[in-house]
Amino acid sequence: MTRLTTRTLIFYILAAISLGLLVLSANDRLTPVEGLLGGVARPFLLVFNNTGRSISEAAGAARSLSTLRSQNDALKSQVDTLTIDNLRVKELEGENERLRELLKFKQLNPGYDFRGGQVIARVISEGPSNYRRTVGIDLGAQQGIERGMPVVTEAGLVGRIDKVYPDSSTVLLLSDASSAVDAMLQRSTSRAVGVVQGIAGGQPVMDYITQDADVSVGDLIITSGLGSAFPKGLVVGQVESVRRKDYEMYQQAVVRPTVKFDQLEIVLVITNFKPKPGQPEELTPVG
Amino acid sequence: MATNNLTRERKGLFPLPGISPLLLVPVLAVIAQATLIARVRLGGACPDALLAVVVAWGLLRGISAGIAWSFVGGLLFDLVAGLPLGTSSLALMTVCFLTGLGETNLFQGNIFLPVIVIVLATPLHAGIVLLTEQLRHVQVDWTGVALRIVLPEMVLNIVTVVLVYPALRWLAGKVGAQRLNW
Repeated sequence: MTRLTTRTLIFYILAAISLGLLVLSANDRLTPVEGLLGGVARPFLLVFNNTGRSISEAAGAARSLSTLRSQNDALKSQVDTLTIDNLRVKELEGENERLRELLKFKQLNPGYDFRGGQVIARVISEGPSNYRRTVGIDLGAQQGIERGMPVVTEAGLVGRIDKVYPDSSTVLLLSDASSAVDAMLQRSTSRAVGVVQGIAGGQPVMDYITQDADVSVGDLIITSGLGSAFPKGLVVGQVESVRRKDYEMYQQAVVRPTVKFDQLEIVLVITNFKPKPGQPEELTPVG
Repeated sequence: MATNNLTRERKGLFPLPGISPLLLVPVLAVIAQATLIARVRLGGACPDALLAVVVAWGLLRGISAGIAWSFVGGLLFDLVAGLPLGTSSLALMTVCFLTGLGETNLFQGNIFLPVIVIVLATPLHAGIVLLTEQLRHVQVDWTGVALRIVLPEMVLNIVTVVLVYPALRWLAGKVGAQRLNW
């Protein structure tokens, strides 16, 4: 009886604290505390994330090695060494390539100021929750990052800054269920507009497309600039399938995002996006 | 022997069992989750290492210890995930409390107990997290989430708890007495 009372009491006290924190945090009243704690967690995330990436790559290499081993046992040790060296080189080459792509993106869009180190933010953590699609990046308020800033890669729109700590931030991905992006089709014969919404555990969907709009599989979807949350012209994805029912007011398009959210390493944060009311800024398409 | 164990537990520096350097375990679980484990995906879900750790520890050391781990781990989890602080703590503590109500020492050595508990805990945890999201006016597709996330997550969590439970049982044995019921 006594034990039950004690543990129930502990539960009630901690649950009350959690509820209080939840209410305060949801209303952005805990930002300084979150910033402080985020700063403490950042170096650990950095170290572990690098370790995680190395393990992922090593696991991939190990799969290749097992084949090589069976084919040529005598060269096993040499292959091990070469593979590790090769991984390092590939990693550097890959990073070099990604930086070049980002540089191209910047050159094609000189009207935007990119910040992150110089122009780049590194992803330091994957979203750990199944119910919130986010990634952590290594830039925060000290580097001029603010809530709501669009985040992109050379492939297209990643999402927007959700939480900002002094030297790190959380990016809410386009694929999160709470994410909504005003978008349009990029086709000369159809500029249908809609809202791309994330689906929990599924692919994003472009909703609120009027029934008479011409939507086809393969159409490219870009941000429309409406709503002033994102600049116009950022690539969002491609129409994978269209859902149309005569009795419904709108049709939907299943979207295949151009960005691979599970392979993000480097992103760009657009820091100077300030659209004029009712007159969204135009962004030249990449490529 | 039993009295010795009880004395050791009561002589702890903190009034709550489980508050010790051992709290690093849920902290490490969150860091591993955010950097390593989140890369393991089945369908739209990844395993929830923190849930598995908390459930296993709650079964091994009692509800109070599980709740303490839930609170600390949950806060860090929210911080990294960008969820409002308190969301995961609340969900994990509730799961720990409810699943712990049926606790028994009889099957503590049996791996099937944590498996059964994690099967119940996964949808319960998801339900509480999603409910808090819905209260914040985030649209939740309950059926879709159940099919695309909760079911695959349950499978992954079963695998995780099967791996985690023996390790934590070993740890519980190393750090002192198993929880005693009188």
